[in-house]
Amino acid sequence: MGRSPGLAGQPPAPIIAAVHSDVPQEWQEEFEAAARRPLKTRLRYAFIHTYKPVLDDAGYRSFDSLAEYRTWCASELPDWLGYGPAV
Amino acid sequence: MAPRFEYAQAEEVRDSFARHGVRYLFIGKAGAILLGYPDTTQDADLFVEKTDANGAAVVRALRELSFELTESQAEEIGRGKDFVQLKSGPFDLDLVFAPDGIESFAHAWRRHVEVEGFPVCHPDDIIRSKEAANRVKDRESLPRLRAFRDYWLRRQ
Repeated sequence: MGRSPGLAGQPPAPIIAAVHSDVPQEWQEEFEAAARRPLKTRLRYAFIHTYKPVLDDAGYRSFDSLAEYRTWCASELPDWLGYGPAV
Repeated sequence: MAPRFEYAQAEEVRDSFARHGVRYLFIGKAGAILLGYPDTTQDADLFVEKTDANGAAVVRALRELSFELTESQAEEIGRGKDFVQLKSGPFDLDLVFAPDGIESFAHAWRRHVEVEGFPVCHPDDIIRSKEAANRVKDRESLPRLRAFRDYWLRRQ
């Protein structure tokens, strides 16, 4: 786990109010298991690479704004990739 | 398709960006994973400070990492075009110069987290950017990410 530099050596206060909902036990166990693994191991299993149609078909893309990128995603990518806006 | 991003590639980014003095933060799910979030993702997203000097530095670092950039691509990155997707290098990388939901790089930098030398956005900034992006895939991941944020804060 990392440490935040915070301000004046003090741990930073939460920026977003904590959510006190019932966290599934399964998630809690997964968080604890991940915390016990070294970073190198965590990264080994975290990055997967599967072909994403359209998105992976160009070596370089750039957009003047994220809004422009979101519009492009919504119009060009298959819905099932999940890059479109949530409704 | 580029090889999978792994610890060695993350180290290369960290070390090359440090050599060239690039100011950046890991953001998105890759950032959360560096903080300990157990999940999977397909690429690494970097929040890069948008200044002329930093833009030039990131171009130098990317070329050192064997990303083949044309002059026009280097110019776009150098001036900090808001979102750049690189899929022609040794691994896939997204550069974000103005992420949704985050006021400024300076704000994010003040509360960032260092994990083994990797500069990472605070989990609240990662969550805010995903909330603001409001994509289907972000909405699906947010409840678990918020639960992780609470867990992470308790451990600090």
